[in-house]
Amino acid sequence: MTIKVKVLERPVGEVSYLRATVKGLALTFKHLVDPHKVTVQYPEERWDISPRWRGTHRMLTTEDGKAKCVACGLCPTVCPANCIKLVPGEDEDGNRYPLVFEIDEFRCIFCGYCQEVCPEEAIHVGRHYENAEYSRDRFVYDLERLTSQSHAVCEMWDPADPKGE
Amino acid sequence: MTAPAMVNLTIEGRPVSVPAGTSILEAAKAAGVLIPHYCYHPGLPVAGVCRMCLVDVEKAPKLMPSCATTVAEGQVVRVHDDKSLEARKGVLEMLLINHPLDCPICDQSGECELQDYTFQEGRADSRYREPKRFNPVEDFGGDVLYVPNRCILCTRCVRFMDDVQQESALCVAERGDRAVIAKAPDADLTQAWAGNVVDLCPVGALLSKDFLNKARAWELDRAPSICTGCSQGCNVTLETRDNAVVRIKPRGNPDVNAFFICDEGRLNYRWMNRQDRCLAPTAAGTECHWDAAVAAAASALNGKRAHIVANASLGNEAFFLLGVLAKKTGGSVRFTVPQGPEALLPGVEDLALRADRAANAYGAELLGASRADDPYRGLGAGDTLVLVDVDPASVPAGALAAAGRVVYLGTVVAAGVKAAAVLPIANIAEHDGTVTNLRGHVQRYFQARPAPGHARPAWSAVADLLIALKGEANFLTAADAFAAMAKAHAAFAGMTFDQLGTRGAAAAGATAGAGR
Repeated sequence: MTIKVKVLERPVGEVSYLRATVKGLALTFKHLVDPHKVTVQYPEERWDISPRWRGTHRMLTTEDGKAKCVACGLCPTVCPANCIKLVPGEDEDGNRYPLVFEIDEFRCIFCGYCQEVCPEEAIHVGRHYENAEYSRDRFVYDLERLTSQSHAVCEMWDPADPKGE
Repeated sequence: MTAPAMVNLTIEGRPVSVPAGTSILEAAKAAGVLIPHYCYHPGLPVAGVCRMCLVDVEKAPKLMPSCATTVAEGQVVRVHDDKSLEARKGVLEMLLINHPLDCPICDQSGECELQDYTFQEGRADSRYREPKRFNPVEDFGGDVLYVPNRCILCTRCVRFMDDVQQESALCVAERGDRAVIAKAPDADLTQAWAGNVVDLCPVGALLSKDFLNKARAWELDRAPSICTGCSQGCNVTLETRDNAVVRIKPRGNPDVNAFFICDEGRLNYRWMNRQDRCLAPTAAGTECHWDAAVAAAASALNGKRAHIVANASLGNEAFFLLGVLAKKTGGSVRFTVPQGPEALLPGVEDLALRADRAANAYGAELLGASRADDPYRGLGAGDTLVLVDVDPASVPAGALAAAGRVVYLGTVVAAGVKAAAVLPIANIAEHDGTVTNLRGHVQRYFQARPAPGHARPAWSAVADLLIALKGEANFLTAADAFAAMAKAHAAFAGMTFDQLGTRGAAAAGATAGAGR
């Protein structure tokens, strides 16, 4: 027993591939002459990134070059990815400071909570995306590296004015 | 004595019945309502200076301080109505006028009552625009540091020194907003129990120098334990950070230590974090499997008299099983108790830093061990010397030479002890168990962190030895071992781990202490 297949008759104009090919080629030729560019010639050219961009961290310093951090422990507490290691200590003036401050940038999810919670405005997420390294262990940023980096930092939104108006 | 008359009242709509003479604050606690307070502490006389515990009592013309008002029949107390909340909000705003906003660097942060209550009922901002009062940090001597800026002048510390320690070393100096806590001239807070003012301080004004800047309160893991510093057996909480004990805090127990511990117990925790721990079992000096080391120890004990010398701070379970081992081999269990000066806390009945500086001498004697000045006396030439958690440096070379064989169960590496077998054991922070204090109060301690390496609790190691010697000691947990002990010894009859809980219970026939 054969299966009966219903064959629909369609007009040649609709069935032919010619129309679609011509349409596609027309778009290609349009882009050939259109001055609108989307490709960026990286690394000579770069896109502007948002002021709220959250990239790898930076620790701001006081005028005498010391980290602003007072080792209060709020950033490791708030960190949802548990990527901050902090051991508090005491300096010769009896002030609290971080003996160890390490951020595992692989573990970090770049939520920016650490910057938001910091009472001293010390730790910041950076407006920065070029993070390539030759070895994996270089992605654990210690205090020295966090303070010596100089890239721009994220401008966290103002909770009272979240849209920046 | 007849039971005091009961008074019925209503607190926050909840009916409560409490003995006459109770304060409203304590009655509310019984009803499950926390009335915010600073100057009130159940272990201290009532002062009524902080005005934080103001509550609305029906038919009273104005708000009443609940710490200083006793309950009355038919009273209706409202804690969270608009009137009391408004009053407490005002008190908090006043307290915060001169209180610095340095929570991020304050050690009390996270366990600060000012922080908690401000978060609960305080204003979101301050209306005070003038500069805050400033006073420099002062060292009060002992373990105590005073940060006057954070002080809210609740005078808990002053009352502790006056009425509990009964050596007036602190007072309130100056008047008005210049008032600060000052120490008496030439007086330092070096009294044996003075460190308690740090725990009593509801804010970060009195700080422990030992704990300063070490950890934040919320990073700590806590486990109930018993102080092994002396035979008083004060209830403590071991606080660990990254599996290291960083602080010891008192844990309230009206039967033993009220709310306090002495400075010696508070600061003596570093030995728990020792790095020279015994990690692996050895047989004849070479590292081996646990079972092989147990077999080596059993063969050293087989047919020999066991001369067991144990640390008097070991748990009841360990002493019970050591007793079984001694009986099986015809030997004996001995211990020595280190001595130190006694330091009474005059304000609390029957509480002192005892001369016997070990936790379980009473329990050990109940379980058949004998106290000796020289525990190595009577060691025969053919005997096997079993050392259990004994400081290896304290073992005389003569005893080691006299013993036929040595079996070492210890927490720390013993280089000078040539042992037939070494079994690593856990210290008090690393296992569950019970100890018995000098008044026969049996109390549990809980595990605060994992044991290092292959270390096992002492009772477990001894149980393995007994099994290897064809004895009956199949215990999976400390509770099992304790249950077997309760069956075998009348003093512990009927006790279980669950029943002891965190408060403990008196052993049968215990010498009743004063006020107990």
